[in-house]
Amino acid sequence: MTTTRVHARLPMLDALRWALLVVCVLIVLLPFAYLLVNSVKLERDFQTYPPVLIPSVIMATNYQTLFFDTNNPTFGYLVNSFVVTVATTVIAVATGSLAAYGLARLKLPFHLTTLIALVFLVVRFYPKITTVLPYYVLMRQLKLLDTLAAITLAHVGLALPFVVWLVLAFVQDLPPELEQSAMLDGCGPWARFRFVVLPLITPGLLTAAILTAFLSWNEFLLASSVSSLKAKTLPIAVASFVTDKGLNWGAMSAMSVVIVLPMILFALFAQRYLVRGLTLGAVKA
Amino acid sequence: MLLVFIAPALALLVVSQLYPLAQSLWLSLVDWALARSPEPGGFVGLDNYAKALADPVFRGAFGLSCLIALAATSVEIVLGLIVALCLVGEGRAVRLTRTVLILPMVIAPVAVGTLWRMLLNGRSGPINYGLSLIGIQAPDWLGQPVTAVMSIIGIDIWQWTPYVMIVLVAALSTLPEEVYAAAAVDGGGRWQLFRYITLPLLTPALLLVLMFRLVDTFMILDTVYTTTFGGPGFSTHTLSFYIYQQGLRYYNLSYAAAASWLLLITSLSAVGVILLVRRRAQV
Repeated sequence: MTTTRVHARLPMLDALRWALLVVCVLIVLLPFAYLLVNSVKLERDFQTYPPVLIPSVIMATNYQTLFFDTNNPTFGYLVNSFVVTVATTVIAVATGSLAAYGLARLKLPFHLTTLIALVFLVVRFYPKITTVLPYYVLMRQLKLLDTLAAITLAHVGLALPFVVWLVLAFVQDLPPELEQSAMLDGCGPWARFRFVVLPLITPGLLTAAILTAFLSWNEFLLASSVSSLKAKTLPIAVASFVTDKGLNWGAMSAMSVVIVLPMILFALFAQRYLVRGLTLGAVKA
Repeated sequence: MLLVFIAPALALLVVSQLYPLAQSLWLSLVDWALARSPEPGGFVGLDNYAKALADPVFRGAFGLSCLIALAATSVEIVLGLIVALCLVGEGRAVRLTRTVLILPMVIAPVAVGTLWRMLLNGRSGPINYGLSLIGIQAPDWLGQPVTAVMSIIGIDIWQWTPYVMIVLVAALSTLPEEVYAAAAVDGGGRWQLFRYITLPLLTPALLLVLMFRLVDTFMILDTVYTTTFGGPGFSTHTLSFYIYQQGLRYYNLSYAAAASWLLLITSLSAVGVILLVRRRAQV
C-alpha cells in the first residue's frame, strides 16, 4: 500500500503515527477497564476521593446480587436478549436473503426497482421514534404487548433493509451462467436458490447475520416501548438504572459488563465479517 | 413465482415499519392525547405541526439536535480520516490496532451512556481526578447545561469515530496504486498527493459516512437517556428525547407524531441532498 511505503521512508512520521495510534487505543480501552474495575468494587469505594482505580479486594458481590438474588431477574433478561437476538437473526436472514434473490432475478419494470430501493432507504433513515407509538398500539391490538415476539418483530423490521441490500450485492456478483445451466437441468427457482445460489452467498449471509445480531442485542428504543415486565431485554435493564432513585453504581457496572462483554468477544471473533458488512457500501459504490 | 420469495420479507416490513409509519402520519393529523381521551379526536390538519413549530422547547430541541449532529459528525470525520490514514496496511500490529479501535461501536449505546456517566462524574469520576492531578479544576460535566451538551457530543465521538475510520480504511485500501506512482514520478509532495489525489478519490466514501453519521446523530436518543436524561432542565433535550417524553411519558400521541414527522422530513431531506451531491461528485 502506497501510504505505508511513504511512511516507511520517513522514520519520524512513522513514530508519530504509532504514538497517535497508541493514544487512540488507550482512549478506547481505558473506559472499558474502568467499567470492569467498577463492577468488582465495593459499593462504599464509589464514594471515596481520590477514586478507587485499582480495587484492594475483588468482589463478585455485584454479580451475585444480579444473578442469584431471588427477586433479581437479570438471568431472565439475559435469556430474553439471547432469544430475541437469535430469533431476529434467523428470521431476518432467512426472509431477507429470499427477498434479495427474488429482487435480483425478478424482471421488474424500472420504476418498481427504484421504488423498492426507495422504501429500503426510507426505512433505514427515518427516525425510529416515529413508529414507536403506532407500533405500541398495533401490538396492543394484536395482544402481543410485553412479549418477545413483539420485540423480535420490531428488530426484524429494522434489520431487513440492510440484510436485503447486503445479500443483493452478493447475489448480483454471481455469474448468471451457473443458474442457466441449472435451469437447463430442469431446476425451478427454489431449487436454484437452495442448491446453486445459497452455498455461494454463505459469506454474505454470515455478514448479514452478524450485523443483525449486533443490532438486535443492543437495541433499546423499540424494545423498551413494547415490554413492561416479562419481556425486558438487557438494554432496558441497563437503562432502568438511570431513573432509579438511589443509584447503585456497582450493580449498574456489573449489568453493563453483562451486556457489553458478549458483544466484545463476538466482535473479536467475527471481526472480518463485521468490518466487511460495515464497509461494503463505501467500497462498492 | 419469484414474488413468493419477496412476500415474507415484505409482509414483515409492512407490519413492523410501513404500517406504523402510515399510522403515525395519520396520528399527526388528528387530535389525540391519551390523557384527555381514550379515543382519537377529529381531523385537525396541520395544527399539531404548527403547534410544534411554535413551541420553544421543540425549537430548542431541534436546534440542539442540529448542533450535536454537525459538531459530532465533523469531528468524527476529521479524526476518523486521520486515524484511517495511520491504519492502512497489512501488518500484524496494524490489524490488531484496527480490531481494538472498533470496539466502542459494537457495544450498546445505553451501556456507553452509563459508562461515561461514571467516567464524567464530577465528584468521584476518574477524568476529573486525572485533570486535578495536572492542576485543572474541572466542572461537573453532566451537571451544567453547556458542558452536558459537550459531553453528549464527546461521547458520540468516542463511540462512532471508529465507524468513520473503518469505512475510510476500506476505501483507502482500494485506491489504485498506479495513480500514486505516476504522481510520485511527477514530483508530487506528500501533502499534494493527499490534497489532489487521495481526497478527491475518497469523496464518495466520505459523503457516505457523512450521511450515516449526520442522520444517526441527529436522531440521538439512547446515550442521552442514560447519561443526562435530557437534563439539567431541558438543556440536553434532543429531538428524539423530547418526542420520547411527549409520546411515551405524557401520551400526547398526536403532538409527538407531528414532531416526529418534522424530524423525519429533516433527516430524509438531508439524505436526499447528500445522495444528490454524491451522484454529482461521481460523474
